[in-house]
Amino acid sequence: MKNFVITREQLANLASKLLGENWTVISPSQNGSKYLKIKDAKDLIIDSALKPTDISMKEHFFPKSETLFFFKRKKDDYELIDAPGSEAKTVIFGAKPCDASAIPVLSKVFNWDYKDEFFNKRVENTVIIGLACKFEDENCFCTSVGLSPLAENGSDIFLIPLSDDKYFMKPITDKGRDFIAANETFISEADNISEPINDFSTPQKRFSTENVKEWLDKNFESKFWFNAGETCIGCAQCAYVCPTCHCFDIVDEDCYSCGRRVKNWDSCQFELFTKHASGHNPREIQGKRYRQRVSHKFKYYKDRFDELLCTGCGRCTRGCPVSIDIGLILEDINSHFLETINVNN
Amino acid sequence: MKQLIEISKELLESRKAGYIIGYTEDKFHRTKPFIAHTTNDAEKLTFNQKAVHNLAVYLTRLPKPKEGKIGIVAKGCDIKAIIGLIQENQIKRDDIIIIGMNCNGVVKDINIDYNKENSQMKCSICELRTPKHANYIVGALEDFAKSELTKNILAEFEALSAEERWKFWEKEFEKCIKCYACRQACPLCYCEQCIVEKSMPQWIDSSPTTKGNFAWNIIRAFHLSGRCIGCNECERACPVNIPLSLLNRKMGMVAMKEFNYRHGIEPDQPTLIGNYNTSDKEDFIM
Amino acid sequence: MNIYKPELVEIKDIIVETPDIKTFRLQFKDPQLQNNFTFKAGQFAEYSVFGEGECTFCIASSPTRLEFLECSFKMYGKVTNALNRLKVGDTMGLRGPYGNYFPVEEMKGKNVVFIAGGIGLAPVRCAIWNVFDMRSEFKDVTIIYGARTVADLVYKHEIEEWKSMKDVKTIITVDPGGETSDWKGEIGFVPTIVEKVAPQSDNSVAIICGPPIMIKYTLPVMLKLGFKEENILTTLENRMKCGLGKCGRCNIGSVYVCKDGPVFSYLQLKELPEDF
Repeated sequence: MKNFVITREQLANLASKLLGENWTVISPSQNGSKYLKIKDAKDLIIDSALKPTDISMKEHFFPKSETLFFFKRKKDDYELIDAPGSEAKTVIFGAKPCDASAIPVLSKVFNWDYKDEFFNKRVENTVIIGLACKFEDENCFCTSVGLSPLAENGSDIFLIPLSDDKYFMKPITDKGRDFIAANETFISEADNISEPINDFSTPQKRFSTENVKEWLDKNFESKFWFNAGETCIGCAQCAYVCPTCHCFDIVDEDCYSCGRRVKNWDSCQFELFTKHASGHNPREIQGKRYRQRVSHKFKYYKDRFDELLCTGCGRCTRGCPVSIDIGLILEDINSHFLETINVNN
Repeated sequence: MKQLIEISKELLESRKAGYIIGYTEDKFHRTKPFIAHTTNDAEKLTFNQKAVHNLAVYLTRLPKPKEGKIGIVAKGCDIKAIIGLIQENQIKRDDIIIIGMNCNGVVKDINIDYNKENSQMKCSICELRTPKHANYIVGALEDFAKSELTKNILAEFEALSAEERWKFWEKEFEKCIKCYACRQACPLCYCEQCIVEKSMPQWIDSSPTTKGNFAWNIIRAFHLSGRCIGCNECERACPVNIPLSLLNRKMGMVAMKEFNYRHGIEPDQPTLIGNYNTSDKEDFIM
Repeated sequence: MNIYKPELVEIKDIIVETPDIKTFRLQFKDPQLQNNFTFKAGQFAEYSVFGEGECTFCIASSPTRLEFLECSFKMYGKVTNALNRLKVGDTMGLRGPYGNYFPVEEMKGKNVVFIAGGIGLAPVRCAIWNVFDMRSEFKDVTIIYGARTVADLVYKHEIEEWKSMKDVKTIITVDPGGETSDWKGEIGFVPTIVEKVAPQSDNSVAIICGPPIMIKYTLPVMLKLGFKEENILTTLENRMKCGLGKCGRCNIGSVYVCKDGPVFSYLQLKELPEDF
């Protein structure tokens, strides 16, 4: 398998060339808030030590608001007009493993029997260039969910820094190989250089997701949830910044004679999310809503799709106004599970 | 923190308080809100310069205790929210026990330790370091490094032309993702059905388009006019860093200038919008 | 292919069932779609009022009668109130069919008991006509239906038709106090009447739909009568949006009402966490 090397300067030149060819070029933003569409190659940020952006990369595949179709009234009849959708060729430079790996995970639900072409088209048209990660803080836990700073899941091409301005470039998918071939003037072959994986530490696992799932399988009614979600103010930030949360709302807008139907981000943390028209709400207290969040990510998605709906990026904790730490809660669940085994033994 | 823990334990044990809303520190040294239900829980209560959260937000969100009152640990500025809620008949003074904390300034960013740069602007001009209206006053007052009021941001902003200000807000509201964190973090946003949740008719678009975002943020500023107590939790909670305090402070200044009113000062003071006074200005009515 | 885009349907007829319940008779605007559309009894669809939104109801007509598609709805909120304002000739949207269905094939050769309350008769009605259109393949058929008052009974004209059928036992009841002076049917809550009628449980399947409280009290009666848990079927209602398993709203634990339901047996219901 051929590998390649690319310098920081060449990456910037590549970005310039793609911008000139009307590609959409995305990289983490200067202020660390999101993955931004850049207009100039000098805004390209490729930095292994970067903290995960405040908001995840998912908005480029699953936008915060997406028109599904337009409708126009003609007397008693209606005309439905397809929304243009996204055809733009896109490349994302410097995607963190905890962001890139979310895309194949989301693909499972968006292709469950019915295929969401809005999502699929964006995935098809985007080349994700992942970047090995040198950041670690108390909020992230990628190794506990089966990922690592060198995880290649979801990336079409993976970059590992060899030095401050040189990167080992690994093609991962056919799309990545084709992209490299089409841009070979900017890229050199790796020859005798081997993958510099020894420069990367593997953060310690904080809990076992098998243990967590086993506990979740049996403890739906536990008082644990009442305490875990007690201080949650229901602001739903955790869902909106998360790379894998995908709940959405569908609403009609504008007016009867001409308007559109639109898909917007939503969250199970809102009180109204599950409220029936009759007024009955199965998840009327925040503890139950918090239980839904953790269970969906570590049990239900695993039951349906054999994947965890979490990449351990830690954004939800960093952004939470009341510092609810899902990592600590999962550690707690892990301990509870181990206690029950000890008791039974 | 011994005094805080002693008082809390006594309140819980004697069942004078059903639970106490306070702060705790987790194993990563994050200070965060915490509800103490038992004397064991009370051991975990703490207070420090990272206790920026306005705990009054829980007074309208948690269920009432089966027995006893609600205890709440509060800084002088937080108590303004509590007084505001009492003025608006959302809670009774008799139903809560306020454990007031002598305050030495709080952080802007809860992930970094306190220092001059990481300090709330409101702390530099605070006159409530020793809280008013509290049942207990706990903790010691110490000198602390204040952030410098290098400029009056609001005045600078107001000096811009209307067109420039509009462009500024267009750029800011484009970022809004309608997560409603600003509303959820606000102690005075307690409506059981928020105006955005009203669907018949849908007054405010729920989509995060510029139009819907403008409508939401401006309506919220209007609904908080004469009611915002300036805790800045909305701005802290916002995941996309929209400078919401500019809007709320502006409305607060209008309330002060036109009606000489500030919310959350005295519990029996009539509220601004909720009261009619024959001497009220009518020059804006045709 | 845009999975979120509905097909256009025209309202061909509106029947006012009760002061707050209407039945719409719909046809696809595209005749070819109308000819090719099939579904199974128990499945649901998403009905659109453009400009207001979408609403989830079962398809209340039988798959054996495909000239029209019918849906019945009660006025609860934004979209249902908008539906109420529509007239014959207006255009709506329809997306579907989604979900699972009543196991009508497996029910052949057995006794079938239909039990419904209020608007819960709508999802059951599609199965009733489905069974009647293949009557000889089923054994005894019993219908027990009740509503709060006489005015709240739905499909009143069809009830009369069922009552006149010789090979069907039809018992209609209203809640105590809901009867009119000339009411000739039963008076009593549905669970009480079920216990009184005591349909035989041997080689029988029961389909029960209605308000949660009716189901709660009818289930123990069915078990007492000897019905097996896997032979008691119901449809679950939960807050739904996309109908496609993606928006994350309708899940009860790992079970999605729009994909694994809306038809569930009591045996399956027992396994579900209390999340609905």
